[in-house]
Amino acid sequence: MTSIVNATTNPAVLDWPQTDEGFAVPYDVFTSPDVYAREQERIFRGENWSFVALEAEIPNSGDYKTTFIGDTPVVVTRDDEGGINVIQNRCAHRGALVCRELRGNAAHLECVYHQWAYDLKGKLLGVPFRRGVKGKGGMPKSFDLGAHGLDVLRTESLAGLVFATFSDEAPPLADYLGPTTVAAVTRIFNRPVAVLGDQRQFMHGNWKLYAENTRDPYHASLLHLFHNTFGLYRASQQGASVMDGDGRHSLLYTRASTTDEAVDREIYKDSRSLNSEFRLQDPSLLAGRADFDDDITLVILSIFPNVIVQQIANTLAVRQIVTHGEDGFELVWTHFGYADDDEEMRAIRIKQSNLIGPAGLISMEDGEAVEIVQKAVVRDRERASYIAMGGGRAEDAEHLVTEGAIIGFWEAYRQQMAAA
Amino acid sequence: MSSLVRLCAVDEVSEGEPRRVVVDGYPPLAVYQVGDDYFVTADTCTHGMASLCEGYQDGEEIECPYHGGAFNIKSGEPLAFPCTEPLETVPVELADDALWVASRAGA
Repeated sequence: MTSIVNATTNPAVLDWPQTDEGFAVPYDVFTSPDVYAREQERIFRGENWSFVALEAEIPNSGDYKTTFIGDTPVVVTRDDEGGINVIQNRCAHRGALVCRELRGNAAHLECVYHQWAYDLKGKLLGVPFRRGVKGKGGMPKSFDLGAHGLDVLRTESLAGLVFATFSDEAPPLADYLGPTTVAAVTRIFNRPVAVLGDQRQFMHGNWKLYAENTRDPYHASLLHLFHNTFGLYRASQQGASVMDGDGRHSLLYTRASTTDEAVDREIYKDSRSLNSEFRLQDPSLLAGRADFDDDITLVILSIFPNVIVQQIANTLAVRQIVTHGEDGFELVWTHFGYADDDEEMRAIRIKQSNLIGPAGLISMEDGEAVEIVQKAVVRDRERASYIAMGGGRAEDAEHLVTEGAIIGFWEAYRQQMAAA
Repeated sequence: MSSLVRLCAVDEVSEGEPRRVVVDGYPPLAVYQVGDDYFVTADTCTHGMASLCEGYQDGEEIECPYHGGAFNIKSGEPLAFPCTEPLETVPVELADDALWVASRAGA
């Protein structure tokens, strides 16, 4: 088989196999350090918006959190005028991380190395020994504090989600997201939210394997036995897979489950995934209240490149991807409810949060799915996957038996990564 | 009348070169000339362990050498980031070509 790596020109620019049916993704995308480096430049510093925070995480003046866009460290601050700033976490002096805490509240940011101090908008405020000591040393006379601030990114918020971009050319955030994505976000973020807490999970695999996984309604009822067993997600349900942003973003949703046992048995037959004889020992795990007027009970909204917004029963969360090389990434789960939830509702959400997160009764298998692909493809750079469920094209579907949205992602990815 | 303690001779202080003096009952003090007058403040910056006399005097402002914060010499008022706590000021008298403050010895 001929090598698909375009090594004669640029090892980061891959030759994608031509196929007669289905779609083929060369496994090199998951294992090549050159591809990873190019993604950092073309995708994470390209004309894309990356999610960095919920406004509800930094409500008060002086609040800050640190995170990453791709693998570039950034700080997100709330300044004393109520504005939100996304700033590169790299000292203008000799490049150190300025902020070394995960989150906190401070009147200014100060680098530990030489105590260069910045305000919450990244402006340089003070340089120790700027005038020297007793007439010796000090910065040159020409030194201008104003020329040595931190690099500030372009920032926009939508419905309380904060995004940032390195690019001046990226379109306005709402245009980047597209109408379907905006509607899905504002459906969930319809009023102020309150953060319940966050969890972090390290997956030993390439970040794009999670991008695939969250655009994949096909696997949900087969891999996640909890879904199927307790009737939260079955292939027989009404649902849809819809793309936005020229295939970059994906919305999967399902309506409240049918309870037609006969239909389900016919579909699943002897599949290990269905055993409707099981009952929860504590059924209150799934007891809840309707959060929305419609009958949609599950939403997985995967926003390119780095965030997933989810509604699963009464659990609401954003999941942010932080890349750490070609074979590792962190998934940061931020769980939230509404600011006006009563105590009982808060308790319901917290109990149901056992369904999601790194060890979630539903979510736990996804980490394994990522890692078993990474392990198996490691030495087969020139081979490719075969993606054809639902027809093998990047198409929306009014059912859940499709991989169309995965293809949409790859086509958009391929375009962004193409040779200039 | 309370007794006075001598800090230094007048010609030991000049504008732009404040003098650090240590006397009983006081924290280390800084003595300044501003124009034709003399003023005294605590020498230790309220922001950190720095000596203001090692800093930079510009008229009635003293800039801390450490982070570049500043105070008004006459009032002790903090003027620039990162200083936010006022500096202690001490009334000073000129007599016999020297500068004096109220004695706190044994206090």
